Order: sequence, then structure tokens, then C-alpha cells
Amino acid sequence: MHGYSKILPFVLSSVAIVAVPEIAAQTERGAEVVKISCTSCHGPGILGAPKLGVAEDWKERRAKGLDELVKRTIEGFNQMPPRGGNVNLSDADLRAAVEFILAGLDKHAETPAPAVAERPATVVEAKPAPKPTQRKQPVNNFNRLMKPASKRNPPPAADGIHDPQNAGTTILQHPKEAFSPMPKSNSGNRVDWVKALDAGDLNPRFVLDDPSKTAVTLDLNIVREVKGSMPDVVYPHKQHTEWLDCSNCHPAIFIPKKGANNISMAAILLGEKCGVCHGKVAFPVAECRKCHSKNKPKQ
Amino acid sequence: MLKKRTNLRRRLAWMISAGALAVLSGQAGAEYGDVVINNYSDQAGMRPAVFPHWFHRIRFRCKVCHADLGFKFQAGGNDITMLKIIDGEYCGACHNGDVAWSVENCDLCHSGKPGTKTQVHESTLQKLVAPAGK
Ligand code: HEC
Ligand code: HEC
Ligand code: HEC
Ligand code: HEC
Ligand code: HEC
Ligand code: HEC
Ligand code: HEC
Repeated sequence: MHGYSKILPFVLSSVAIVAVPEIAAQTERGAEVVKISCTSCHGPGILGAPKLGVAEDWKERRAKGLDELVKRTIEGFNQMPPRGGNVNLSDADLRAAVEFILAGLDKHAETPAPAVAERPATVVEAKPAPKPTQRKQPVNNFNRLMKPASKRNPPPAADGIHDPQNAGTTILQHPKEAFSPMPKSNSGNRVDWVKALDAGDLNPRFVLDDPSKTAVTLDLNIVREVKGSMPDVVYPHKQHTEWLDCSNCHPAIFIPKKGANNISMAAILLGEKCGVCHGKVAFPVAECRKCHSKNKPKQ
Repeated sequence: MLKKRTNLRRRLAWMISAGALAVLSGQAGAEYGDVVINNYSDQAGMRPAVFPHWFHRIRFRCKVCHADLGFKFQAGGNDITMLKIIDGEYCGACHNGDVAWSVENCDLCHSGKPGTKTQVHESTLQKLVAPAGK
């Protein structure tokens, strides 16, 4: 009974925030989320994760309160990846999962579990209209085709190519952390590397083992005229030689002679010419204006 | 004749790229420019190696790797092996305990999901070839 009185505040606070009539559905969702995204670590206790159903492992953590645990689940901490490594889970999903995990502990401890039916119904009814939650996959997402802001620069464990089961994955840096001091852009890494370098936000070495050596740049613009309304392309040697060596482009990609190379957008999109780098590592093709920067004189 | 063909190719590339936008939304999507190298790893029972461009370009100009160390601009195109790495080539030019942490940290490099193909993640080309709509 003692155990139960401790959870009561959790139950109340969870009801207050979720404020959804279908608590049963909530519990079900919690179970589902835990099964898909949390048991891999919390089942066997990988990386020191507190084990499911083992009250001892959770005793001190629980004292932080549900909200704090949910917050940490969302943001991640130490070896615990943000959102349990699954960026597709909404805040409501994660809350449901944490509630489910905590409820499971009490079942194991054989104290009265905060079973669904025991939740004070009056509290639920006293609530105003339910807030929109994202329990079900919504059909009318604001961004349907474009990747929404929340899914950009995901942490390695949640990015789809790193294996979240691999111990090393959780040690890798979160790109957002590295990019936080840098000027933003609307594509690629979502960082404006040229501005970041100019502003001194990063200081990449020009020579492997000598941080004092600086880049030798060439200030030579080449204008390539484009038919139609698209502004002409200005190819700047300066920004390129900040990063690259002449031999990276000449002669394998471009013959060093103005107009000697046949360049088209089709080739670029297929990963040739400027597309060797732009669309792979340097800013992608989406940023038309960075290349097509010279407006034509008005006729 | 030649003109016609390039026009066709041009239109094709633009068309596929428009369709490809959809692919962006479906998956989580790793950081732009992350390279997965998996010529040998899967067969050898190791997770594929993942090379983060963003992380390294904060520390080095492209020139250091692509001119001085001789990395070719092609994912999987350098035939990197552990023998070369421990003899100081490729990743081993830096991951030697002097410039950067040494090779015993296998799982920092071999961190990819098993079965992930060699690729440059989020490249325009990758988006072109992937079927639209997931
Ligand atoms: C990659 C392994 C991994 C996955 C997947 C994972 N966790 Fe964790 N989790 C951990 C580790 C490790 C800790 C302990 C971290 C510590 O105390 O340093 C932890 C701790 C926690 C805590 C305790 C927080 C605290 O403040 O003590 C909660 C709650 C939690 N995880 C919830 C979840 C939920 C919910 C999911 C699924 C959506 C999940 N975790 C998925 C590894 C994981
Ligand atoms: C020009 C030198 C250089 C080369 C070549 C190089 N690295 Fe690195 N790498 C570094 C440095 C420096 C660090 C940071 C080391 C530290 O944290 O002390 C690093 C860190 C890393 C990290 C960890 C990133 C993180 O999140 O902390 C990974 C993974 C990595 N390198 C993989 C590779 C792989 C795979 C290769 C070869 C394909 C490679 N590196 C080649 C210099 C290099
Ligand atoms: C990122 C690729 C790249 C790099 C790196 C690069 N160039 Fe170029 N360079 C070009 C392009 C593109 C052209 C224009 C070719 C055209 O118009 O067909 C060009 C043209 C030239 C020309 C011809 C100019 C003219 O008026 O005919 C010279 C000379 C030249 N580059 C020298 C250099 C030198 C020296 C370096 C190293 C300091 C260098 N380039 C680095 C891409 C590059
Ligand atoms: C070998 C790789 C490479 C090739 C080939 C290349 N670029 Fe770049 N470019 C870069 C890098 C790296 C930067 C730095 C910015 C970044 O990484 O996003 C850059 C930056 C630029 C900038 C500067 C943008 C600014 O914000 O000031 C322009 C413009 C540009 N490229 C146009 C071109 C054009 C046009 C071509 C083809 C004629 C081309 N690039 C070919 C690697 C390349
Ligand atoms: C990395 C630099 C770069 C970016 C980014 C870029 N372009 Fe281009 N674009 C070029 C170059 C170089 C040419 C060839 C100019 C020439 O004929 O010499 C070109 C040519 C064109 C042409 C002329 C016809 C053709 O296919 O060659 C059009 C139209 C065009 N670009 C539209 C766009 C649009 C729209 C975008 C944005 C989605 C864009 N470009 C982004 C570099 C770029
Ligand atoms: C600095 C990054 C890095 C580290 C650390 C590293 N590897 Fe590799 N390893 C690579 C790369 C890159 C490849 C080439 C991957 C491919 O083509 O499949 C590779 C390939 C391999 C291969 C297959 C090819 C071969 O040479 O037999 C094995 C097996 C392997 N690594 C085992 C290990 C083991 C075991 C460790 C730890 C003792 C380790 N690696 C540490 C980067 C690394
Ligand atoms: C620390 C070393 C390092 C640095 C710095 C670096 N790269 Fe790379 N790059 C690599 C490695 C490793 C590969 C993959 C090679 C392989 O798989 O064999 C690669 C592959 C590439 C590719 C080939 C992608 C494809 O089409 O398959 C391009 C393009 C590229 N890098 C551009 C750049 C540019 C531009 C910069 C600077 C902004 C840069 N790299 C900085 C190590 C580096």
C-alpha cells in the first residue's frame, strides 16, 4: 500500500497532462512503444539501462518524478539515446511508454498496480476538451513530403544507418551539438559552412599535423552564362580553395580553362562536374541562388 | 542528334529529382554526407564502417584527406582494409593514437546497421535512384 501512495502523484499528473478519455488506449500504446523501442536495452539491461520489471533498478530514478523521467527520455542522457533512439515517437508516445514501464514495476512488486480502472474517473471528467495528441499516425501532418524540422540532424542512434545496439554508437557526437554555434542554412547539414568558416566558428586544419598552417586561396571568379531567366552562375575559386586543393578539381573534373567544360544541371544532378561535391558533401543542388547568383541585366 | 539526346537526359534528371523529394520524408535519415563503407565488413561479420564528413570537416579541410592522404572521391572506392589502416594509410593516418584515438575502438567506426550498403547518405543521386514515396 505504501508503494501505491507513492505512485498516486504520478498517476494524477499523467492524467492531467494527457487528458484523453481513452486511458486504456494509452496503456496499450505504451506497451507497444516499449516493445518496439525500449526492450532492446531495458530488457537485458544493456549499457547499464535499468531493467524492465526490476523495481530495485528504478527506485532512485522514480524519485525524480514522472515529468523528469519523461523529459530525460525525450532528450536522452548519458547512454540513454534521445527518444530511445526512435525519432518517430511523439512526446505522448514516450510518456505512455514511461508510464507503462513504471506501472509494470508495481505489478512485479505485487503491490496494487495503478491499474487503468483504478484511476480516479472524476479527474478525467473534470478536464477541459482533450488536447490534440499524436497517438495515431496523423494523416494531415503539416509537412507531408518534406522532412519536418524535428527530424533534421538526428542523433546517430536514431539516424537509420547507425546501429543503436552498438555500444560505440551512443558515444558518437550528436550533430546538433556540433552545429549549435554555426550559421544555419536550409539544406544539407543545415549549416552554412562558408559563413561558419569565415566567422571562425570552426578552424579546420589545412595540414594534417600542423594547426598553424593556413589555406592558400585563389581569388578568381568564373562567370558561366545561362540561357533563359535563370541568373548566370558565378563559380568562385576563393571559397573552394579555402577547403580544396587545385588537384581536387584540375584536371580530373575541370580543364582549367574558362568555358572549356560542358556543364549542365543534368550532369550536376547525376553527380558529375559540380555535382561531384554539391549534392554529396558540399551544399546540395536545392540552393540554386548560391550558384546562380548573378542576375541578368533587365531588358 | 546529340543535342536531342542531352535534352532527353536533362529532362529525365529533372523529372526524377522532382519525384524524389518524397523520399526525404519517410525515413529518419542520417546526417548529410555520412559515408557507409561496406565492401568487406558484412562478410567479415563486422558492422559496416560509418564515416561522418560533418565531424571531420570541422577538424580538417577536404584537402588533407582528398589530396594529401589520397582518398578518392568515391564511397567504397578506396579499397580500405584493416591492414592498410594499421600500417598508417587511410583512416590509419590519423586514427593512430597520436592525431586521433587508435584502432582498438572498433565499434566507433564499425557502427552501421548490419546489411547497410556502401553509400553517401542523403546524396542527390541516392534520392534520384530511390523510388518516390517511401
Ligand atoms: C540504446 C539503449 C536504450 C534504449 C533503446 C532505451 N534506453 Fe532508456 N536508458 C538507457 C540507459 C543506458 C539508461 C541509464 C542511463 C544512466 O543512468 O546513465 C536509460 C534510462 C532510462 C530512464 C531513466 C531515466 C532517469 O532519469 O533515470 C528512462 C525513464 C528510460 N530510459 C526510458 C526509456 C524509454 C521509454 C525507451 C523507449 C522509448 C528507452 N528508454 C529506450 C538505454 C536505453
Ligand atoms: C585526417 C585525419 C583523420 C582521418 C583520415 C580519419 N579520421 Fe576519424 N577522426 C579524426 C579526429 C581528429 C577525430 C576526433 C578524435 C577525438 O575525439 O579525439 C576523429 C573521430 C572519428 C570518429 C568519432 C566521431 C565522434 O562522434 O566523436 C569516427 C566514427 C571516425 N573518426 C571514423 C573515421 C573513419 C571510418 C575513417 C576512415 C574512413 C576516419 N575516421 C579517418 C581524424 C581523422
Ligand atoms: C572545386 C573545383 C576547383 C578547384 C579546387 C580549383 N578550380 Fe580552377 N577552375 C574550376 C572551374 C569550374 C573552372 C572554370 C572552367 C570552365 O569555365 O569550364 C576553373 C578554371 C580555372 C582556370 C582558368 C581560368 C581562365 O580564365 O581560363 C585556372 C587558371 C584555374 N582554374 C586555376 C586553379 C588553381 C591554380 C587552383 C588551386 C589554387 C584551382 N583552379 C582550384 C574549378 C576549380
Ligand atoms: C571538389 C568538390 C567541389 C566541386 C567539384 C565544386 N564545389 Fe562548390 N563548394 C565545395 C565546397 C566544399 C564548398 C564550401 C561550402 C559547402 O561545403 O557547402 C563550396 C562552395 C561553393 C560556393 C560558395 C557558396 C557561398 O556560400 O559562398 C559556390 C557558389 C559553389 N561552391 C559553386 C560551385 C560550382 C558552380 C561548381 C561547378 C562549376 C562547384 N561549386 C564545384 C566543393 C566543390
Ligand atoms: C552547385 C552549383 C549549382 C546549383 C546549386 C544550381 N545550379 Fe543550375 N547550373 C549550374 C551550372 C554550372 C550550370 C551550367 C551553366 C553553363 O551552361 O555553363 C547550370 C545551369 C542551369 C540551367 C540551364 C540549363 C541546364 O540544365 O543546364 C538551369 C535552368 C538551372 N541551372 C537551374 C537551376 C535551378 C532551378 C537550381 C536550384 C534547384 C540550380 N540550377 C542549382 C550550377 C548550379
Ligand atoms: C578508424 C576507423 C576504424 C576502426 C577503429 C576499426 N576499423 Fe575495421 N575497418 C574500417 C574501414 C573503413 C573498413 C573497410 C570497410 C569495408 O569496406 O567493409 C574496415 C574493415 C574491417 C574489416 C574487413 C576488412 C579487413 O581488413 O579484413 C574487418 C574484419 C575489421 N575492419 C575489423 C576491425 C576490428 C576488429 C577493429 C578493432 C580492433 C576495427 N576494425 C577497427 C575502419 C575501422
Ligand atoms: C578526414 C578525412 C576527410 C575529410 C576531411 C573529407 N573527406 Fe570526403 N571522404 C572521406 C572518406 C573516407 C570518403 C569515403 C571514401 C571511401 O569510401 O573509400 C570520402 C568521400 C567523399 C566523396 C565521394 C562521395 C561519392 O560520390 O561517393 C566526396 C565527394 C567527398 N568525400 C567530398 C569531400 C569534401 C567536399 C570535403 C570537404 C568539405 C571532404 N570530402 C572532406 C574522407 C574525408
